[in-house]
Amino acid sequence: MQIIYFFAIPLIIMAASFSVNNSKVLGRLNALAYFAILLSTFGLSINFKEPLSFFNFFYVDALSILFLFTISVVAFAAALFSIDYISKDVLSGAISEKKAKTYYLLFNLFSLSMFFVPVANNLGMVWIGIELTTLASAFLVGFYNKKASLEAAWKYIIICSVGIILALFGTIIFYYTASTHAGIRSLNWTEIVSSAKSLNVNIVKVAFLFILVGYGTKAGIAPMHTWLPDAHSQAISPVSAMLSGVLLKTAIYAILRFYVITNICVGAQFSSKLFILFGLISLGIACGFLLVQKHIKRFLAYSSIEHIGVIILGFGLGSGFALYGAFLHIFNHAVTKSLMFFGAANVVKKYKKDNMHAIRGIASAMPFTGLMLILGMFAIAGMPPFSIFFSEIFIAIGGFVKGSYLVTAFYLFFIVVIFGAIIYHLSRILFGKKPQGLAVSHEALSTKMAFIFLFIFICTVGIKVPAFLNTLIMGAVKIVTNN
Amino acid sequence: MHTYVFLSGILIMTYFMVIAKRLPPLISSFRLQSLFLFLFTVSLAISGGEPSLYVVAGLILILKVILIPTLLLRIIKKIKVNENLGFFMNPQLSLFTALLLTYLSYLFTFRVMNLIDRMQAASFALALCVTLLGLFIMVFRIKALSQIVGLLVMENGLFLTAVTMCRGLPFIVEFSTFLDIFISVIILGVFVYRINTLFTHIDVNKLDNLKG
Repeated sequence: MQIIYFFAIPLIIMAASFSVNNSKVLGRLNALAYFAILLSTFGLSINFKEPLSFFNFFYVDALSILFLFTISVVAFAAALFSIDYISKDVLSGAISEKKAKTYYLLFNLFSLSMFFVPVANNLGMVWIGIELTTLASAFLVGFYNKKASLEAAWKYIIICSVGIILALFGTIIFYYTASTHAGIRSLNWTEIVSSAKSLNVNIVKVAFLFILVGYGTKAGIAPMHTWLPDAHSQAISPVSAMLSGVLLKTAIYAILRFYVITNICVGAQFSSKLFILFGLISLGIACGFLLVQKHIKRFLAYSSIEHIGVIILGFGLGSGFALYGAFLHIFNHAVTKSLMFFGAANVVKKYKKDNMHAIRGIASAMPFTGLMLILGMFAIAGMPPFSIFFSEIFIAIGGFVKGSYLVTAFYLFFIVVIFGAIIYHLSRILFGKKPQGLAVSHEALSTKMAFIFLFIFICTVGIKVPAFLNTLIMGAVKIVTNN
Repeated sequence: MHTYVFLSGILIMTYFMVIAKRLPPLISSFRLQSLFLFLFTVSLAISGGEPSLYVVAGLILILKVILIPTLLLRIIKKIKVNENLGFFMNPQLSLFTALLLTYLSYLFTFRVMNLIDRMQAASFALALCVTLLGLFIMVFRIKALSQIVGLLVMENGLFLTAVTMCRGLPFIVEFSTFLDIFISVIILGVFVYRINTLFTHIDVNKLDNLKG
């Protein structure tokens, strides 16, 4: 029953947020709690041998643990980063002490709902979990209660609700064919997968379209991505990292569960074409907006759309290499993008503006954040020896192995253009002369720890994928290829 | 026979919502639609469905017929907003589009889904049509509150799909879905309230500062 920790610990902190009066103490407690969660997911990953099932309600296999581990890594980093970020907001009077406590309450509710998604066996409960992530994070997007953040929160909750309703429609149609053609009166993934062959082919195709468009909205796949840049840029920064790093991935997780069923039932061709199409559209749209973007957090948000495109494309190509690359990319993007959002958060706080044309000389004004952003910039753009380079190359190799030369050529083209856009825009704000009168500042220890913690993952995965992660990814690949 | 009456009631109420010009009639039509949905569910439960359908029908009655419309009407009173919905598409054209969407959902039901049972086919087409029209209301009406109502109409359509196609989802899922809807309406209401305080209007077409 190791998964009990994911639910018990956030609940305890939520209770603590009512009773602890000092928000700084609460922040430290929160970080400590997420360290404990991280240790327990780490334990779960190392000891993983075969799928676990509890009460026929929770089902934990390699795919689940891979996502759980990713969520707990990013959540721990965000919790560490929050300590100083929130206490500075309280000091500067941007938020009240009471609101800081609300922040920790919502933070825990948000991560609780994300932890719930990968462990639920019932596809309906997966849906509930994803809907809860929207509801919990809506207030975090509109946290500062300014005009822009309210607008973003409204768009976020409305667009994602419509998306998620379409996904529920898809789920219902899946349930219809499962109950009529295969005689299963349950939405448990394990049961539907085991008799996926007897589902009706046409109906599964229709249902999968709804699922892909519906959950795809939440995953930020273009052209359903319109809420994403607004929400990610307006959310409170540690949460931007979580939105971008893991929230999108939970929606991908939900799509993957249906992807497995669909592939068994109608063959891999169908979903493969759809994924490749949506992947390329996402890459293309992200590419265009990245070239002309001014706002630093929106810039990172469009970069998330690009990486979601890469992941979807990887699953679409579907050969062993590409799948391995796509799963690895899910983890790599989560850690790298979180690091970038933390950096951007520090920059916005220091310069009090987010227009990239007006920011210069980060490296000299904030040496540590500057250094991390320089390294992170190369990492997110896909430069060796950082981890994203390898997962992107795996996907490219996967494309060539499969013989999809044209698709892979487009993919490489977009990646190269985006590489240029990222290096161009970010190096302009990182280097140069810092504005006069801006004092050199240093970050708090907890903030530095958050950066270094993420950076260790970026480097080590780039040099060699750790054995436990490798086992998990291999396990996940086995699940989606169904052998 | 009466199931057909209830189904037509649901459809007619949806058309009423499409042509409604002000917020209170929109919400009252939604209340009536939910009432017909409640009656339909009860009739299914009586005609040999599962006992859990009674519970679900009760939830519809409490949440969608009583609580949610009352809550929405109270929000309107409290924020003292202009009650006109604001159209991106005028009522006549909207109704025409609604009829077209109804026809399309029939085509979809018979060509793609290949349903044999006539009763099931009719109700699936209707459910799909209600879902689409909910989306239509969300997209083509200006007031933020009409988006909430559109969302609820979509959910009614989904519920109808679940009930007619598979006699309802597994109970725990159905129950959590209802809870979820209620929470999301409350949260959306809070946001409408905040938007009204900060912007002094709830016209979504004027929420356009974030671009690019």
